Amino acid sequence: MNIRAELAKFLNLCFVFSSAYMFWQTYSIVADTHSPIVVVLSGSMEPAFQRGDILFLWNRNKYSEVGDIVVYEVDNKQIPIVHRVLREHHSTKDNGKQLLLTKGDNNAGNDIPLYAGKKTYLAKEKDIVGTVKGYFPQLGYVTIWVAENKYAKFALLGFLALTSLLDDE
Amino acid sequence: MFSLSQRLQFVGNYAMTVGVVLIVLIIGSSHVDFSLKGILRNSEASISNIRPIVGLRTSRFYGAANGHPKENTRIAFDLNTDLSGLFNWNTKQVFVYLTAEYNNTDKGTVNEVTFWDAILPDAEHAVINLENARSKYSVWDYADHLSERDLRFKLHWNIQPHVGPLMYGVAQGDDIVVNVPKPAPKN
Repeated sequence: MNIRAELAKFLNLCFVFSSAYMFWQTYSIVADTHSPIVVVLSGSMEPAFQRGDILFLWNRNKYSEVGDIVVYEVDNKQIPIVHRVLREHHSTKDNGKQLLLTKGDNNAGNDIPLYAGKKTYLAKEKDIVGTVKGYFPQLGYVTIWVAENKYAKFALLGFLALTSLLDDE
Repeated sequence: MFSLSQRLQFVGNYAMTVGVVLIVLIIGSSHVDFSLKGILRNSEASISNIRPIVGLRTSRFYGAANGHPKENTRIAFDLNTDLSGLFNWNTKQVFVYLTAEYNNTDKGTVNEVTFWDAILPDAEHAVINLENARSKYSVWDYADHLSERDLRFKLHWNIQPHVGPLMYGVAQGDDIVVNVPKPAPKN
């Protein structure tokens, strides 16, 4: 057991995690959104987006367009929703606010029942997390598996511990 | 010589490199295909025979607020288009939607609303010939009314890929502007 080698390994691990964190933060700043990559959690946009698909967001647009697929958050709910813009209304004045109505492609009706309280529209500036620009299938299922299966976390941690123990370079 | 983790790491890295190269090739070749076909700029659609149907609704889910009924507009329309060119090996599906743009000059707003949309799962379903079709949605203006406004109709499409960027476009065609009549007065 070489303490120095073990510490070096630990440092290496820290480097990997901090690079990932830096990548996330940089992308957040560039795309102007607090979560630039989201994993689809519901089937309301099927068959285009299925559970576990990864979406890449962009939030530097001033106004959304009808047909854009946006990610939004409802007050008091933590789960981000990925739906398509059905209607948009904005003022022609400078800094005119934009109101949006959204709907999931696979849902029968629009999202008014999903909005918080008596709200019947989303505000672009306040509620929209980002617009979907890029798509990658299925890879995000790992995060759903870890989040929803109570044994998955232990399995993952166990696997990491086992590999670091077996690792004798 | 080589430990198990080193071997795993090597295989993992190699698989990732091959994956990235494949994805870049798929996205790139699909873009080349579309630009050779010229379809992204030159898709065509004919929208015609639009007849607005106006009524009043009293539900909160149809725009009514504080007991004031809201004017709701549906349309009947004809639509002919062939969007099969939007399908290639990287097209998972095409989402097609019929919208109307209008200006509310009283309030100074620009608006766009969807009347009808459809998911096209493959090229065979991308040839659309609708006659006297009904709009999927009952539409209201958020501020006041749609009647006496000029609605400019357009057919948009959105290519949803197997992997890569989403693509959007508008089908070319005659300028279709329809003025919505006032709802019939109650007797």
